[in-house]
Amino acid sequence: MRSILREPSVVVTLSVLVGLMLLFIIYPQVQVVLVPGFKGYVEFLSEGMWLIPLQNSFLTMLLSTTTAVTLGFIYAYAMVYSKMPWKPFFRLIGILPLLSPPFVVAASYILLFGPRGIISYYVFGQTPNILGLGGLWGVQTIAFFPFAYQLIADVLARSDARMEQAARNLGASYWDVFRTITLPMARPGLAAAILTTAIYILEDFGNPALIAGRFTVLPTQAYGLISGFGDVVGAAVVSTILLLIALSMYLTKLRLEGRQSFVTISGKSSSIPHPPVPRVLNMACFVACLILAGLVLMVYGVLLVSALVEAFPANWTFTTKHFAYLGANSLSLRNTFVYGGIAASVCALYAMVLGFLVQRHEWPGRRIVDFIAIMPAAVPGIFFGIGYATAFNYRWLDWLDRGTLIMISMIFWNIPVGFQAAVAGLQQIDRSLDEAATSLGASTLRGFRDILFPLLGSSLLTGFVTAFVRAVTTLSVIIFLFTPGTTVATITIFQLVNDFNWGGATAFTVSVIGMAVVVVVSVWIISGRRAGLQKT
Amino acid sequence: MDEKKWSPTMNRREFLRVLGAGIALTATGGLLEACTTPAQPAAMSKPTGKLSVYSALNETTNNEFVKAFQAAYPGVTVELLPLAAAGELQTRIRTEKNSPKCDVFVGGSSEFHDPLGKEGLLEAYKSPNAAALDAQFKEASGLWTGWYIGVFSFLYNTDRYAKEMANVKKPTTWDDLLDPVWKGKLAYPDPIKTGGGYIFIATQVFRFNKDEDKAMEFMKKLHANIGQYTGTSPQAIQLVGQGQFVGAVNWAHDILTAKSQGNPIDLVVPENTGFEVGGVSIVKGGPNTTAAKAFVDWVLTKEAGELNVKLSNRGSVRTDVPPAPGAPTLDKVKLVQYDRQWATDNKDRLLKKWQATVGV
Repeated sequence: MRSILREPSVVVTLSVLVGLMLLFIIYPQVQVVLVPGFKGYVEFLSEGMWLIPLQNSFLTMLLSTTTAVTLGFIYAYAMVYSKMPWKPFFRLIGILPLLSPPFVVAASYILLFGPRGIISYYVFGQTPNILGLGGLWGVQTIAFFPFAYQLIADVLARSDARMEQAARNLGASYWDVFRTITLPMARPGLAAAILTTAIYILEDFGNPALIAGRFTVLPTQAYGLISGFGDVVGAAVVSTILLLIALSMYLTKLRLEGRQSFVTISGKSSSIPHPPVPRVLNMACFVACLILAGLVLMVYGVLLVSALVEAFPANWTFTTKHFAYLGANSLSLRNTFVYGGIAASVCALYAMVLGFLVQRHEWPGRRIVDFIAIMPAAVPGIFFGIGYATAFNYRWLDWLDRGTLIMISMIFWNIPVGFQAAVAGLQQIDRSLDEAATSLGASTLRGFRDILFPLLGSSLLTGFVTAFVRAVTTLSVIIFLFTPGTTVATITIFQLVNDFNWGGATAFTVSVIGMAVVVVVSVWIISGRRAGLQKT
Repeated sequence: MDEKKWSPTMNRREFLRVLGAGIALTATGGLLEACTTPAQPAAMSKPTGKLSVYSALNETTNNEFVKAFQAAYPGVTVELLPLAAAGELQTRIRTEKNSPKCDVFVGGSSEFHDPLGKEGLLEAYKSPNAAALDAQFKEASGLWTGWYIGVFSFLYNTDRYAKEMANVKKPTTWDDLLDPVWKGKLAYPDPIKTGGGYIFIATQVFRFNKDEDKAMEFMKKLHANIGQYTGTSPQAIQLVGQGQFVGAVNWAHDILTAKSQGNPIDLVVPENTGFEVGGVSIVKGGPNTTAAKAFVDWVLTKEAGELNVKLSNRGSVRTDVPPAPGAPTLDKVKLVQYDRQWATDNKDRLLKKWQATVGV
């Protein structure tokens, strides 16, 4: 591996990127970690109230990550390998669960499957108690499989089909090809998917708050300490515990990964399709995706119906009155899309360049930066916001526009998925490609721009889409940063929910989701037309 | 609401102008205050400029409040930051202490204002309009002032109650909830995660004259009837409104608000219940402390009290403001001797005891 430190332009780029991360990820987080002070840590830890939530957090992480990644893999496989119909539709279903503003989508599950749920009670006559570990497990599986799906699909789509074709031609069965070629080649995507999904599940607050009932996990405990008792000290200790868990998971991943090669794109270009999938498997993929799509649509359907009737589920009279809140809160709606759009674009590019510098080159502190890029996933949004509010609230900084600060927070909070996508993508691309360019005289950055960047189109897209939907639907990061002029849609939804205005909250939610879907689909269409970008 | 005034950015010139105005106001503010008479607190000092209000009140109340206040003080432009979560606002004020952005923190139980005062982040102000208030409604040195009350109550789903429990009497005491007929039908805000859930436990302790063992015995029996502990306080109301559960304990004003949104629920106030005192306080070093004082004065007027009662169903601390229809008042319901300081100091210990008792 050659050193990049000889090229000034690379050194400057790297220094700027790392410097910004120190300023906007590490520095605010240090503020949070320092809040309790030594005494605060000793007192809170010795009280022991965190022990049960810690166990619960580990248990949910284990269960939900396993099912979410499995589901994500099946979905990705179906999307990339099978010849099933309706793929564009399923592609949309695959990101819809990410579009879930807190307090609203999780509530929809209870309306469907609660003790007096529409499906559970009124269709099947059952009174299940879904509030608890079981319900949380199910909801998190649906809510987080999109992360795994996107990261794995990225890798599967780029993997070289020639090896599979060759194996088939030599007489290997379909199952053998899957086991000995497809699965091993998907490993960088799987590893990235497991790590990212696990950390996001660990940090998840919205679903456990509504679905887990008495089953307390660390993020709901931290939130409860702040929200119910104004206890920032205890909450900050909980946040630190979460960070330590994430760090140990990252180290485990490094251990397991070792130094293996996952290269599947070599110098010679390949346009061979993947070998045909057996008919039965096509059908199975289609049915599986259809069932999942049905469930997802049902959850969002409840929101749509709620938005269009007087008082769901008590009064089903049709009305459009709830959509009046759109006009009254147009400012928050506009801010959401301006901030989300700008933040996601910058975030995706940033993550991509950073991924390139980390994955392709050796330099001191590389592993540390690699971890810093996954760290924001482990910080519950509320502490990301508290860190920013503390770190950047000084009189001499009062000229700083709050909208800009909100966008910056969204950029750095959402780096992990884009970064993981970029690294996983780069692991597949043979170094000889960009090294050929550099040995022919191109600079490192030029080699990246002309050779790797076009090959990484789908990773970039994954980074953008994930960052965008997360920016549009986040509440906790923004609670400590927004001002009357920089309010966003999730704040409006939160206010309406707390006013028991379910109709207004769902009307607003449905509109935000609808507009976000339009943005994402437009980006897909535009990028699909550009040559060089691969479809997943 | 006039959104043009809510400009997110401020250019340099505007900033200096506001800064200048702020300095001038602070300088004259003290003078004006000196000649303010208790009878007409607002007449002499006509504050101007922007006033930044952090409000934990509910959304409908916010809008009407801003309108009414600006009508009374035409020179002041209110920038209201709405967040119906007092704990988050309290934390926000704490994180902003290096450069306070907030003038007035309004709404939320006094438990959320009091620690800020102890940490030296609040400006003491004894509003002349609070002079007549009972001592339990205000902080002695004026760090915060109570202006509304919320009573902890019980709600039930009217549809399911009529169908399934028509011959069961509605609970008039907390002990009535121990009847096995409620088994699995109650929702309860998790005391580990919600302030309301904890206030309920503290209420039981006070009800048994601080005999904690009796209180825990009660909580243990109640546990057998609870179908679900909810992660947030409003969620308990939401679940009963949907009919997922038949009854729950919660804040009376929230129950009435949810009822007015079309939920098939109703309210009962069992005797010996607990309550909260909703506060208003001034942030030390905020941009416009003069206007903040005017706001506190105004919040304590009969007009503001009536508006709040009408919009949020909370009760006013003023004896001349009648309660909302159906809402409990402090003189009509039987309250426990709620020792707020004791409840706060013993929170962690009581919660651990509760965890050990009910085995969760």
